[in-house]
Amino acid sequence: MNKPLMKEMHTFGEQETCNQSSPSKKPTPPKPQNAITIAVSSRALFNMDREQDIYEQQGMEDYLKYQIQHEIEPFAPGPAFPFIKAVEAVNTRLRELYPDSEELFDVVLMTSNHAHVGLRLINSINHYQLFIERFCMTGGNSLIGYLKAYHANLYLSADSLKVREAIEEGIAAATVFSPGKITEVPETQLRVAFDGDAVLFSDESERIYKAHGLDKFFEHEKAHENKPLDHGPLKGFLEALGKLQQKFYAKGQRLDCPIRTYLVTARSAASSGTRALKTLRSWGLETDEALFLAGAPKGPMLEKIRPHIFFDDQMFHVEGAAELGTVAAHVPYGIAQKVQSKTARDVKKDIL
Amino acid sequence: MEDEKNHTGPLMIALQYNDLFDLDSISAMTASTNTDDAVPKDRAVTFIKAVQIVNERLVEQNKTESLLFEVILIAKECSEEIKMNIVESVKYYGLEIVKIFFCKKEELINTLQLNNVKLFLSTDKDDVYEVLHIGIPAAVLYEQSDDHVLNQLKVIFSGDVIGFSEDSLDSLSDFGFSETQIETFKEAKICMKEFAVLIGQMRRKFGQENSPLCICVLTAWGSTNVCASALKTLREWGLDVDEAFCLAGAPCSPILAVVKPHILWDGGLHNMRDLSAHS
Repeated sequence: MNKPLMKEMHTFGEQETCNQSSPSKKPTPPKPQNAITIAVSSRALFNMDREQDIYEQQGMEDYLKYQIQHEIEPFAPGPAFPFIKAVEAVNTRLRELYPDSEELFDVVLMTSNHAHVGLRLINSINHYQLFIERFCMTGGNSLIGYLKAYHANLYLSADSLKVREAIEEGIAAATVFSPGKITEVPETQLRVAFDGDAVLFSDESERIYKAHGLDKFFEHEKAHENKPLDHGPLKGFLEALGKLQQKFYAKGQRLDCPIRTYLVTARSAASSGTRALKTLRSWGLETDEALFLAGAPKGPMLEKIRPHIFFDDQMFHVEGAAELGTVAAHVPYGIAQKVQSKTARDVKKDIL
Repeated sequence: MEDEKNHTGPLMIALQYNDLFDLDSISAMTASTNTDDAVPKDRAVTFIKAVQIVNERLVEQNKTESLLFEVILIAKECSEEIKMNIVESVKYYGLEIVKIFFCKKEELINTLQLNNVKLFLSTDKDDVYEVLHIGIPAAVLYEQSDDHVLNQLKVIFSGDVIGFSEDSLDSLSDFGFSETQIETFKEAKICMKEFAVLIGQMRRKFGQENSPLCICVLTAWGSTNVCASALKTLREWGLDVDEAFCLAGAPCSPILAVVKPHILWDGGLHNMRDLSAHS
C-alpha cells in the first residue's frame, strides 16, 4: 500500500520510506525562493513542430484533438532538452554534496497550452524521467504573473513574443532556436555561454558603436575602462550559476565542477575587452573562460566549446551559432532589436 | 446511478448573506434612520456577475436551457429590519438572486439539503470544511484581489483530492491526518464529482476559446502523476480542464493570485499546509 503513496506523495514520503528502493523515488522539490528556477516552455523542451503546424493551419480544435489522440506518444526532445538534462545532472551532484540544501535548480514547465495537452506532456516528462514536478498550463493566458510567482531566474521559450514580454517585465528570458545539426554535448557538465553586451552587460556601449562607429567605440571603452558597465538581463542568471559553482569549490571540486561558464564576445582582448572583464570583477563574478573574438564569427568557436546553450542579443550571432550545431537563444534586449533581421520563426504567433 | 437525477435542472449555489453584504453597513443601517441599502461586497458581486454571464451565454445557445446556475442567499439570525434591507439591496443592485432563505444557525444544513443545493460557497474555510464533512458540496468563494470581472467564471478543483487514489487517501493517516480529515477528503471527492458532472455539461456547450466558464485543476502537494490522475478522472466525469497547475509544495497563494478563481474546491485541504514542516 505504500507504493502508490510513494509515487503520489514524494513531497511527504521521502523521509519515512527511504529504506524502500523504488524506481520512482524522488526528492522533494525546493521552495521557489531558495531555488534557481528555470521556467521552460513546452516547445523549448520538446519538439512539437508537427503539432504547431496543425495549430497554424487547422486551428485550435483540431490541434487539441490531435494532441489527445497521440496522448501516449511522447514528444521528441526539443532544443532546450539537453540543457535541462544537464541541469538535472548538476542537481544530482549538489544533492550528493549538500543533501539538506534547497539551493538547487528547479525546473518548471511553463506553457500557455491548454490542460488538454497536459497528459501528453506529463507522459513525455515521465518517458524521459525528467525531474519536473511543477508546471503551469495556462490555457492561453499570459505567463508573466506565474513567472513572477515562481521567482523565475530564467525563462526559455520558442515564442519570441512571450520572451519579449518577459524581458520587458524584468525577467531574464531568451527565445530558444533549434540547431541546424545535432552536436553532442557533455552529459555531466553544464556549459552555458553568454554574449557580453546587452546580455550580461547593458547595451550602453553598443549604442555608441551603432551611433558613432567602431573607432569611437574603442575610444569610449578605453576611456571608461574602470567604470563598470550597467548590468544586462542575464547578469542575475550568471550570478546564480556562480553561487552554485562556489558550492562545488567549497567541497574541493573546482577542477571537476559540473558547471562551466563562457563569455563569448565580439569585443577584442586588446582594447574593449578589459572593460568587460573589469565589470565582471566589480560584480564579484567571473566566467570560467572568456573568448574575445574581435568581430570574428562566433559559430566556429562555439562549435568547439559545445555549450548546452548560448545567449546572444543579436539574431545574426544566434543564427550563426545554430547553423554550426549550437543551441542558441536570442535575448531581445537593447538597441540591437531595432535593427534586427527578423527570421520567419521570430514573427510567427503561436500558443506555446 | 444517482447522478442521473442531477443531470438536468438548475445548478443551485448557496451564498451566505454576510459574504454578500458588508455587515458593518448593515449595522450602521439599523443605527441610523436613513434608508441606505446594505453595500454588497466586491468578491461576491464579481461571482454573481460571472454566473450571470454564463447563464446569458447558455440561454443564447438554447432558449429553453434548464441547466443554468441559480444563486440563493441564506441569512442566519437576522432581525426584521435587516431582512427587509437585504431584500431591498438585492433588488437595488440588480443581483440575480433567485431566493432568500432566512433561518436559524442550526437550520443551515437542513436548508441546504432541502433545496438540493449543489454547491455551498463561503469565504470561511472552516464553514466549508464542516459542511463538506456532512457530505454537502462546499467550496471557498475566493478572495478576488481586484474587482475586475474577467467575463469568465473560474472554478478550481483540487488535483490532490481528485487525483489521490482511495488507498493513498487512507494512508494519509501515516502523515498525521485524523480519521475525520481523511473522511472529509473522501466526501469532498464524491461531492466534487456531482458538481463536476453538471459543470462539465455546461462547459461542453462552449468551445475552447472564448468560453464564459473556465475549469482549472490545482495540485498543491501531489506529484505530476497525481495531477495526471486528476485530469483523467475529471475527463471520465465528463469535464475537460482548461488550465492545470502543479505546485509540488510551492506556496499556493502567489499562484492563486494570478489565476483569480471565483470558486475554489480544496476539499478542506488547507489543513494540509501545516504539514510543510515535515517535508
